[in-house]
Amino acid sequence: MDQFFEQIITGLSIGSILLLVALGLSIIYGSMGIINLAHGEFVMLGAYTAWLFRNYFGLGLLAGLIPIFIVVAVIGWIIERFVLSLLNNRPLDTILATWGVGIMLQQAVRLMVGSELRYVQLPPSLSGSMDVFGLSVSSYRVFLFVVAIALSVATWLLMNRTTVGMKLRAIMQDRSVSASFGINAKRVYGLTFAYGAGLAGLAGALVSPLKSVSPDMGTGYVIDAFMVVVLGGVQSLAGTVASAFILGELSGAIAFLQNDTVAKALVLLAIVVLIRFRPEGLFTTRVRA
Amino acid sequence: MSSKTSTQTALPRLGAQLAPILIVCAILFALPLILNNDFLLNKVARYLVLGILTVSLALSWGFGGILNLGQAMSFGIGSYAMAMALKLKTVPVHTGSGGLPDFMVWNNVARLPWFWEPFKSLGFALAAGIIVPALVAAALGWFIFRSRVTGVYVSIITLATMVVLNLVIIDQQSYTGGFNGITDLAQLEIFGIAFDAYGRATFYLVASCVALSLLVAFAFTRSRAGLVVQAIRDHESRVRYFGYDVATYQIFVFALSAAIAGLAGMLYTIVMEFASPTFLGVQLSLSVVVWCAVGGRQSLVGAFLGAVLVAGVQGALSESAAFLETWTLVMGALFVLVVLFLPKGLAGLAQGAWRWIVQRRQLSHEIAQSVGQTKEGSA
Repeated sequence: MDQFFEQIITGLSIGSILLLVALGLSIIYGSMGIINLAHGEFVMLGAYTAWLFRNYFGLGLLAGLIPIFIVVAVIGWIIERFVLSLLNNRPLDTILATWGVGIMLQQAVRLMVGSELRYVQLPPSLSGSMDVFGLSVSSYRVFLFVVAIALSVATWLLMNRTTVGMKLRAIMQDRSVSASFGINAKRVYGLTFAYGAGLAGLAGALVSPLKSVSPDMGTGYVIDAFMVVVLGGVQSLAGTVASAFILGELSGAIAFLQNDTVAKALVLLAIVVLIRFRPEGLFTTRVRA
Repeated sequence: MSSKTSTQTALPRLGAQLAPILIVCAILFALPLILNNDFLLNKVARYLVLGILTVSLALSWGFGGILNLGQAMSFGIGSYAMAMALKLKTVPVHTGSGGLPDFMVWNNVARLPWFWEPFKSLGFALAAGIIVPALVAAALGWFIFRSRVTGVYVSIITLATMVVLNLVIIDQQSYTGGFNGITDLAQLEIFGIAFDAYGRATFYLVASCVALSLLVAFAFTRSRAGLVVQAIRDHESRVRYFGYDVATYQIFVFALSAAIAGLAGMLYTIVMEFASPTFLGVQLSLSVVVWCAVGGRQSLVGAFLGAVLVAGVQGALSESAAFLETWTLVMGALFVLVVLFLPKGLAGLAQGAWRWIVQRRQLSHEIAQSVGQTKEGSA
């Protein structure tokens, strides 16, 4: 029985990392229709910023979270402003453009910082473990879970309880009508993309103590995050949260029985079969296009 | 007069489209006569193979509107099919008892796995290198297109599938050679001709396959099915209202494209003399998309030349590692610029320039005529 609960907690822990990475991706795709292939690079930039802050400014991981969010968000805003906003009516081309931007970011980091692995220390206050339902769990993993849930709630509030969120939802429904009501779609898109990028940056900073930091670390995360978005369906924050934890539990369980690679392969197979029956994702109701 | 121009706008003249393909093929077959360096010929053959791969992507992306980000998956499957057959033909020095490949011996595999058995026959391997990628693509396409999944989702699913297959190949080291791939291969021999990677025979084989794939792809784009596929790209639901079964056409072009990519993969194993998981890696798959975009996704010859040119430049610069890193940065920037400002790539630029020249000529001709007429009138 203990093993069962341990397995559940491992799954939750994998799920919270998935959710952290997928949240920004899902926001950007759901609201702007852009598949951001540079998302993994934003994750990577967040991790490097954390490393940079720690080693050159002596700023710890927790204290650095807000500055990291701002740094990556600004980079995202610049990319939206100067590349993506030029591709308004060509959704397939935004994949390519973000891919190109991703290569450039990755290569720029490789040239400037080098491709050696870097390490970020766990915050000392969270390096211990704590007691959850009689099981000893690393405090940092509990912290990640709490942050992932908190960020999801914050994002929901932002979308549904603020003026910017309302404007964004209006643009999603009908861009030209909302423009005629005086909503500046360009500005809102810029802010949305920056927010999504900032979230990715936070995700990168938060996972950096668990794994080593390298210029190509983003690729692995982003593929998993895409699975979450495909399974959860677009325009559904709850769907993203639920599918992140479903995939987390599933990968955890299969990885326990077999290994990580088999887990990935089976999860992908399940998703491909699933889209045959529910192409719009698990958690969205069918809407007329 | 008017009916003639209307058919011309509907379908460009056969000659004008066929000419670039024939010119390119003629140059390729003449190349070994000029280039008297086996090492260089091997390098060129490599770029030509990548060109075939890019043509296959142009077919599904430029003509079918299906952006397959995992195009290298079919390429990799083809490459492994060829490598498995050639591995089983290596001289016994490199193999265990009963012709067991060396990496299996190292991984304590006692018997040849069942899926390796049929690769003892070269004919089976050659067929498998083309048919297996096509079947895999058709199966994946059945799930994707029958569900009416379109656009960006297709790209993500194809990309993810490729990444997972890549992980599986690396993971199952004892059956696939894992991270190292399959090395130490025998030479391909068909009808008594040995295809040495550095020999002329291999170059001519590659050049023939370039010609074959360009012509097959070209014939498809002009066929009835090819026209329907292009119509689907431009307006999917309108084609559906006309009563066409959209998914079947999409699955077909998807599978055809995979088959051509599989052929390219088999040739790549012959030219490179090994197969590696990097052949179905994200890096290569991404490069193919870049080449295709730079060359021009809606032009078969454009995509082919884009691959040969960009890969050639990259190869020439890769002598120094520092430069190669900067090159990747430049390639990313080039790619973004092409996407932003040249959606039809270099081929689009060339077509535009050609049309401009023709129009200028016509215009000056007409002006000269009308000037002549007014002169006659006033006289």
